[in-house]
Amino acid sequence: MTEKLKLYGKEFDSRLLVGTALYPSPAIMRESVAASGSEIITLSLRRQSPAQQHGKMIWDYIQETGCQLLPNTAGCKTPKEVIALAEMSREIFGTDWLKLEVIGDDYNLQPDPFGLIEAARELVKRGFKVLPYCTDDLVVCRRLLDVGCEVLMPWGAPIGTGRGLMNKYNLQTLRERLPDTPLIIDAGIGAPSQACEAMEMGFDAVLLNTAIAKAQNPVLMAGSFKLAVESGRAARNAGLMLKRQTASPSTPTLDMPFWQQTVSEEKGEEKGEAKGEGEKV
Amino acid sequence: MAERKLSIAVAGAGLMGRLLAWRLSKVGHQITLFDSGSLEKPAGACQTAAGMISPLSELFHCPLPIYQLGMQSLQHWPHWVRQLEELSGESVDYRQKGSILIAHPQDRSELLQFQQELNAKLGPDNRDQLQWLDNSSLHNLEPELDRFDQGLFLASEADIDNRKLLSALHKALSQSNVQLRENTPVDCGPERIKTDSGDESFDLVIDTRGLGARDQIKGLRGVRGEVVVVETPEVKLNRPVRLLHPRYQLYAVPRANNQTVIGATEIESEDMSPISLRSTMELSSALYSIHPAFAEARVIETRVNCRPATMDNLPVLESEPGLIRINGLFRHGYLLAPALVLRAETEISRLTQATEQVT
Repeated sequence: MTEKLKLYGKEFDSRLLVGTALYPSPAIMRESVAASGSEIITLSLRRQSPAQQHGKMIWDYIQETGCQLLPNTAGCKTPKEVIALAEMSREIFGTDWLKLEVIGDDYNLQPDPFGLIEAARELVKRGFKVLPYCTDDLVVCRRLLDVGCEVLMPWGAPIGTGRGLMNKYNLQTLRERLPDTPLIIDAGIGAPSQACEAMEMGFDAVLLNTAIAKAQNPVLMAGSFKLAVESGRAARNAGLMLKRQTASPSTPTLDMPFWQQTVSEEKGEEKGEAKGEGEKV
Repeated sequence: MAERKLSIAVAGAGLMGRLLAWRLSKVGHQITLFDSGSLEKPAGACQTAAGMISPLSELFHCPLPIYQLGMQSLQHWPHWVRQLEELSGESVDYRQKGSILIAHPQDRSELLQFQQELNAKLGPDNRDQLQWLDNSSLHNLEPELDRFDQGLFLASEADIDNRKLLSALHKALSQSNVQLRENTPVDCGPERIKTDSGDESFDLVIDTRGLGARDQIKGLRGVRGEVVVVETPEVKLNRPVRLLHPRYQLYAVPRANNQTVIGATEIESEDMSPISLRSTMELSSALYSIHPAFAEARVIETRVNCRPATMDNLPVLESEPGLIRINGLFRHGYLLAPALVLRAETEISRLTQATEQVT
């Protein structure tokens, strides 16, 4: 199936977005990006004195991947900081795409939903294509759509925890209530199986960094996530079977005459005994 | 077959340049050591570093060659230090008491992750290099770490007072017949050094200029590092301690005079401006969380520099006739330098023997 991921009018084949931080070296980062097949990569410039362009060497190196760059506002805590950094990112990288992060808690880096909406409103006005990193709260997500975001990136779990999809009920709610909004699971993905599960649940893409960058072999792990995301998407499209209850049989199993099954079900705990009698017969 | 004695120019008097000049002059080569700045106060990352020689700790997030070169360096530091201390009459506080890794209880998985990754990289034969410390064994080694009840001990690791070492090397070089040419920026070519006042010829040029050789080494970049030095008589650590944390990396290296060097940030930026408030807060609050008495420590100094690194973060040793370039020691200067000096020496013997055979 060749359906594309459509974000802000652009089409992508890959449904895996990756970060560029925390790798053992820039060279391994670039190899991992290539192995992941990603076409969109995030990068942070908060601490690199962007105004003075001191990080230019590494930015150029990242840009050579040819991927759509998604500068983020990691580390920002107020809409004001976010907007200043966003403007600088746009100027440096020549893209109005932005992964919006407004951090509400220093320890777990949880998004601040209030600051998020305020910042998103202003950024949309300024012409940014905003991809907000948000919680899995339906109302927060709806507000973000109201202020003009076209894509949402709810978390699976807090950044860097690798805990996977912590609140599947909320995530399922988002998917069902916002069927036409591209939803990307961002943060908290620790294992390919979790990324696969997000795709099976019908999310449009997955964004992660730590699980690849901090793996013992980041390149191998990147390839593994690529397969998982593709597999999960294909499974979603193929139509997953529903789970079945086979612990208590609804029809007789072949090795047991049906009248005995009825007997054993009626006897409940004495099942073994009933079976024993059957064998004697 | 005796080796021919060469006239060698070493460009860049950082750690690498000094060690090379010292070692090569000892075996009779005629050395000229150039530096664009002062030898008294080196401007490079060697002056900023904390002087840890920690191949195991570094293996956590570095490829195997860093560990292998580091283990080789560990074998040579002790007798090189002895010779230098004798020559210069100065102590360099080399200490091989291992290092300790700790994490707060809520970050215990960081310790487990470290252990798991190191064991995987080291293979089954080397696992005894990593020792799990329970409450009492941790407090036997470091009584001040009473807020922590477990840790990891890397017994083979060492550290050195980098500034004392650089000064001892300077002194040893001044007393030798090495020609010291400070405040002399140079360009390097095969058998040729170009200064502001013209070209000079040598049998061999060794370029160890770090970021000064940026245009000659493909993909060489600077990675900003920030370090704080504090002083307090209240907390006594016996060896380097690393605090593992999901987001901050902190090491605390105890030094003479109740000082502790704490570091280090790693920021992909060639920014040489003073330390940021955020980095100061991250480093100092992480230190405070190790022991509350650090709150009253005095901040003696903050240091900022850019480490020269290649895109794979591995060191470079390139050789062509008349020219050797060594660069990209990144954050591993003291860990890698002796091993790289030995490689350069091997390369030079190969060159000199080859020349003899030709002539």
